Amino acid sequence: MNIFKKYIPLALVFVFGIVTLASYYVPHRVSESYMEQISVWENIVFAFSLFLGAISLLYSHYNKIVKKVDGWGYSLFVYLGFIVMIVLAIVANGKISDEGQMTALGWGFNYIYNPLSATMFSVLAFYIISTAYRSFRIKSSSAFLLFIAGLILMLGNIPLGDLIWSKLLGWTHTSIASIKDWVMNVPSTAGKRGILIGVSVGAAVTSLKIIFGIERGYMGKD
Amino acid sequence: MRNKLLILIVFLFTVPSIYGANKTSKNELQKLEIKNFEVLDFPSDRGDSVIVVWDKENSDMNYELYLSTNETNWVKFKEIKSEDKPEPISLPFWVWENTENRFAFPVNLVKVFGLEEDKYFNEDIKNINLYAKIKSVSKNKSFKSQIVNGKPHGNWFRKERINNFVLVLLITVIFFVVVSHAKKRDLFIRKIPGLDAIDEAVGRATEMGKPVIYVPGIGGMSSISTIASVFILGEVSKKIAQYDSTIKVPHYDPIVYTVAKETVKQSYIEAERPDSYRDDINVYVTSDQFAYAAAIDGMITREKPAACFYMGYFMAESLLLAEVGASSGAIQIAGTDVDHQLPFFVTACDYTLIGEELYAAGAYISKEPMLVSALKIQDFGKLLFIILATVLSITFLIMSKTGNIDMIGKILDILRVK
Amino acid sequence: MKDTLNKILKIDRRWLFLLLSLSILIPIIKPIGISSSSISSSVQNMYDFIEKIPAGSTVFLGIDYDPSTAPELHPQATAVMKHLFKKNIKVVILTFIAGSGGLMDELVRTIPPQYGKVYGKDYVVLPYMPNFTAVLTQMASDMYAIYDKDINNKPLKDYEMMKNIKNYKDFAASIDITGTALLDGAWLPLVGDKYNLPILGGVTAISQVGLGPYLQKKQIKGLIGGMKGASEYERLTNEQAKATSGIDALNIAHLLVIFFIIFSNIILLVLKFI
Repeated sequence: MNIFKKYIPLALVFVFGIVTLASYYVPHRVSESYMEQISVWENIVFAFSLFLGAISLLYSHYNKIVKKVDGWGYSLFVYLGFIVMIVLAIVANGKISDEGQMTALGWGFNYIYNPLSATMFSVLAFYIISTAYRSFRIKSSSAFLLFIAGLILMLGNIPLGDLIWSKLLGWTHTSIASIKDWVMNVPSTAGKRGILIGVSVGAAVTSLKIIFGIERGYMGKD
Repeated sequence: MRNKLLILIVFLFTVPSIYGANKTSKNELQKLEIKNFEVLDFPSDRGDSVIVVWDKENSDMNYELYLSTNETNWVKFKEIKSEDKPEPISLPFWVWENTENRFAFPVNLVKVFGLEEDKYFNEDIKNINLYAKIKSVSKNKSFKSQIVNGKPHGNWFRKERINNFVLVLLITVIFFVVVSHAKKRDLFIRKIPGLDAIDEAVGRATEMGKPVIYVPGIGGMSSISTIASVFILGEVSKKIAQYDSTIKVPHYDPIVYTVAKETVKQSYIEAERPDSYRDDINVYVTSDQFAYAAAIDGMITREKPAACFYMGYFMAESLLLAEVGASSGAIQIAGTDVDHQLPFFVTACDYTLIGEELYAAGAYISKEPMLVSALKIQDFGKLLFIILATVLSITFLIMSKTGNIDMIGKILDILRVK
Repeated sequence: MKDTLNKILKIDRRWLFLLLSLSILIPIIKPIGISSSSISSSVQNMYDFIEKIPAGSTVFLGIDYDPSTAPELHPQATAVMKHLFKKNIKVVILTFIAGSGGLMDELVRTIPPQYGKVYGKDYVVLPYMPNFTAVLTQMASDMYAIYDKDINNKPLKDYEMMKNIKNYKDFAASIDITGTALLDGAWLPLVGDKYNLPILGGVTAISQVGLGPYLQKKQIKGLIGGMKGASEYERLTNEQAKATSGIDALNIAHLLVIFFIIFSNIILLVLKFI
């Protein structure tokens, strides 16, 4: 059992890891075809896992309905949405519009799915205000710095900020927009680069750990 | 400077020879003649390109470049005016040296002659030859060059990436040295409060009799942050199993779902509680970003979990999740390497793992010497960057002041990956 | 006193939601009209760049957003499109986002007629394509290999404006208005950096922060960020529209956030001393 669960996967990762890394340095057509093949295989595996995922989704909601757990009614909507969209997609041959005419699938897409996702995104604004009120505590000097940076950014993002700035601090002959640009271009970009370099180095080392079988988190545990 | 001197010497020698013996018409013809006209294989390519090169004359000469694969059907590839300067080929100096007095045009045979790619690589490449000729025109007089030819070859090494290759080798060697010395000493890792709080969070869930929700984010299994997340999930679920609490893991990516399922199952076995494991701990929800967020928000609102973990790759849904979790009163621990989502997590969660802290989680929790020592390499890498950035910034400053622009270009070539 | 302050601090968040809704709704119904007085440098750069494109040139305009980010990005796309037509620049419109169809349709239905622009002569619309990496790479050599037909299923090559167009070399720039990472994740590395086509774009206010390094290195020539950027662009092009009217709501909502942060911290400070 250990062979299938441990050694074969590790050997596969090692071999494909090294070959894929090598293909980055090999411009030959052979290496190109290898990468094409690998991405085809990846797509195939993904399609199967999507199928597994769908089964898991339906199974877990089936359990909820059968056991009548709290909120089991919502689970009915999972089935409803799932079946309706699949049927519409089959009927419309997977097309959203056909010769300029919106199909039933397109209708579902444009008038159900789109407004729903727009709603979820707009909820963000409400959550931002609630987080700002409840969680933004100026408890330390660094939190104060964060607040000042946030304040500059927010004021710099709105015309009213310009107005307030020029009324109060117009004599400094600067504009809030230019200060905001400086904050974004200098400290913020510097910090972002720092994180980016750290993350990239971390990613490189983690990749080596995976290729050489030291980190095995990706295949479950030993 | 040396090049200019060379040109000058060559010029000094050629001028008298041209003027000395020949008649005027012959002079002009010689001027129109194309020098060092060649078809070279394109370095470091898959085998469908060549470079056509010849010397640029310092006169008012226009060129027309014709190409063919069979010496009968010619294609006019390029027309070059006398004022045109040679366009540099974007290869580093150790692969191709761009000079101001030499034209160099890369030609992709498949594209220029509209060849069928598969057929080209399977059959044509063996026998194909590129023939080139130039018509040079100067003040109503024209001259046709001889026909030159060259053959493209598929290459087995990208010479332009040798700098990157050396760096990878260096990191790998250091990696092995450090890892092989791993067990000899205890290495220090600074405290990461977010990971220390896992016990607290799981304990709280047990006391309250409420579940823990673990969100692995919207990254695929190839994302490093997702891999780290799966590792943490293993540790969290082990603790859950030990305390006999419950955990829910909603998924965005079906492959991550499959892997996480295995991880959680294994953790329950390690904790000697395989009987408590249920198949619906891991649930695949959807691969749509906002629908995923909505589903988890619903889950949090209905089940009022004692703790929420958000570990992995997150985009706009970060605050949608964290704020709902915060308002439900759950203890929240987040971790991501997406820098612009960090502010949302920092404000709405109790603990946040920033960037590499997430990668370090595996080493930190397991305390396995090999993993811990791998962290050392990360630090070494960062140190290297800091030193390089400082030294090179100062060097470039000095070089630009002393006018050593060529050298700056060469150093940048070494640092750049093509 | 202490109890009251604590209560205010722990106020039900639905009251905050109500306040925010009002602060957005009221200015939309009854605009105050505070418009942008300064122009951010990245927007100015974008405007200047388009101003310098010679009339008759062709550019790409990517409409890569769906309804979720449309409130911020649709005004940007509208303002840019108007500017392009005003400058008599030819536009090839395309998208890699399946949900953008309706929005793209609306732009094309309303804007070109205002400037007397004709389909096929001044602009064309390409059909949706899912795999952006393949498409952007292919277009470097021959765009018709991937887009042989336009959105109306007619041969793309036959349109008048496409006569002399084959690949990136025949375009003056690419402008991508996107709610995802297509600007810095696709157009920039696959087209801008590789084939030297100038890349410009428009993104949401949140994503704008992440593009700082590219703007600094001028890899992205110009950028419109969020609704404020859109309103600035409208001001530059003298076409006051949706963004300018939406900016009132943005003003008040931002002020509300600032007010709440300061207010809650003052309460905390007071609580500390009583």
